[in-house]
Amino acid sequence: MSVENLKILVCDDSLFVRKKITNVLKNCGVTELYEAADGEQAVEMYNKYSPDLVLMDIVMPRMSGVEALKLILADDPKAKVVMASSVGTQENLKEAINAGAFDFLQKPISDTQLETLVRKVGK
Amino acid sequence: MFTQLFGNYLLNRGLVTSSQLSAALSAAKQTRAKLGVLAINAGYMNAAQVDEVHNEQQRIDKRFGDIAVDKGYLSPGQVEELLTKQGHAHLQLGQALVDNGAMTNSSFAEALSSYKSENSLTDVDFDDKTGNKVDELIGKLYSFADAENSSVYTEYVSLLFKNLIRFIGDDFTPLAPEKIPSARVSFCAKQDLKGLGFSCSTMMDTSEQAFIAFASRFAGEQFTDADEMTEAANLEFMNLHNGLYAVNLSNDEGQEITLLPPTCEKDTVVGGPVYRISVVYPFGTAAFYITV
Repeated sequence: MSVENLKILVCDDSLFVRKKITNVLKNCGVTELYEAADGEQAVEMYNKYSPDLVLMDIVMPRMSGVEALKLILADDPKAKVVMASSVGTQENLKEAINAGAFDFLQKPISDTQLETLVRKVGK
Repeated sequence: MFTQLFGNYLLNRGLVTSSQLSAALSAAKQTRAKLGVLAINAGYMNAAQVDEVHNEQQRIDKRFGDIAVDKGYLSPGQVEELLTKQGHAHLQLGQALVDNGAMTNSSFAEALSSYKSENSLTDVDFDDKTGNKVDELIGKLYSFADAENSSVYTEYVSLLFKNLIRFIGDDFTPLAPEKIPSARVSFCAKQDLKGLGFSCSTMMDTSEQAFIAFASRFAGEQFTDADEMTEAANLEFMNLHNGLYAVNLSNDEGQEITLLPPTCEKDTVVGGPVYRISVVYPFGTAAFYITV
């Protein structure tokens, strides 16, 4: 699958972060982008759109990223969910990977990191 | 970071005003420290000798270094050595202050010498890339001696300054910490940190204008209104800074803390007591608060 055909869901409670990430993804050629502002919305949107990749913040109101990750994987064990957090502690990393995260990115996420990620998923 | 701490020293001693310092910090990046300032800093020449060479330059078309060598104040080797130090930020600040007329060569020489001597600093320390000396200076200025977890607060402030340099810009002056019973905030990005050994609220408060300017610098784009996007940008700065702090605390102290989602507070009073650490940027002051 090429990068242009990827469907990506960006989940972060920060409008600023969502805009920044979606801008970079658009520049990479991704056209089908969805946004969610908390874990609950992310689960709903995942079920509705079945994206090829989810970029998920951890600290969010209502439902955390890790809880949302677990719910998404319960329905779709092959889901590719990349956790992104400013709190890149060993504990958070372990928790995310143990819960089945595809990868973990420490914020601030650089444009290059995002580009590398979508190319990897788009292969 | 030496530049910001030296700026704090100049301000505290009443040697410059806040507006003179802000103007000089803005100009410093475009300023190359001249040989006179560098020679004073190195202790090779005194202010009177530098002024004498400057006066000589008004009469004859020769470079500062050549005249200083002719007069026997500097050797050619010393001129070469000084030229390699033109990029030192605290000297660029000094040069900008002299150029703006906020200080004379003599008052700058005296201030720099006192600063070095009071803090046992040598030129080698200014070149130190490990950051140990900077941490030591921050620890002295921001000791929070009356707090139970004083080192935790000091480390928080030390990382804050590094993150301000990294994400907002290095043209700020940090002010001395204050402990106040409560804080009235106007445009505030707030985030709570919860842990077993340490919990607190952290805030950044600014005027509306500074709120927009801070967000613009962080985002790398020009915002004009205090709207949802500027709020989100400033909240993300707090989230990023606190996240990096949590990582350090986990790696260095083995303490795990959880960050709660950041929120924006406007025109409200935050109960205390709280520590206030203000940083002055050319666009305004950002006051950072940590609850005790």
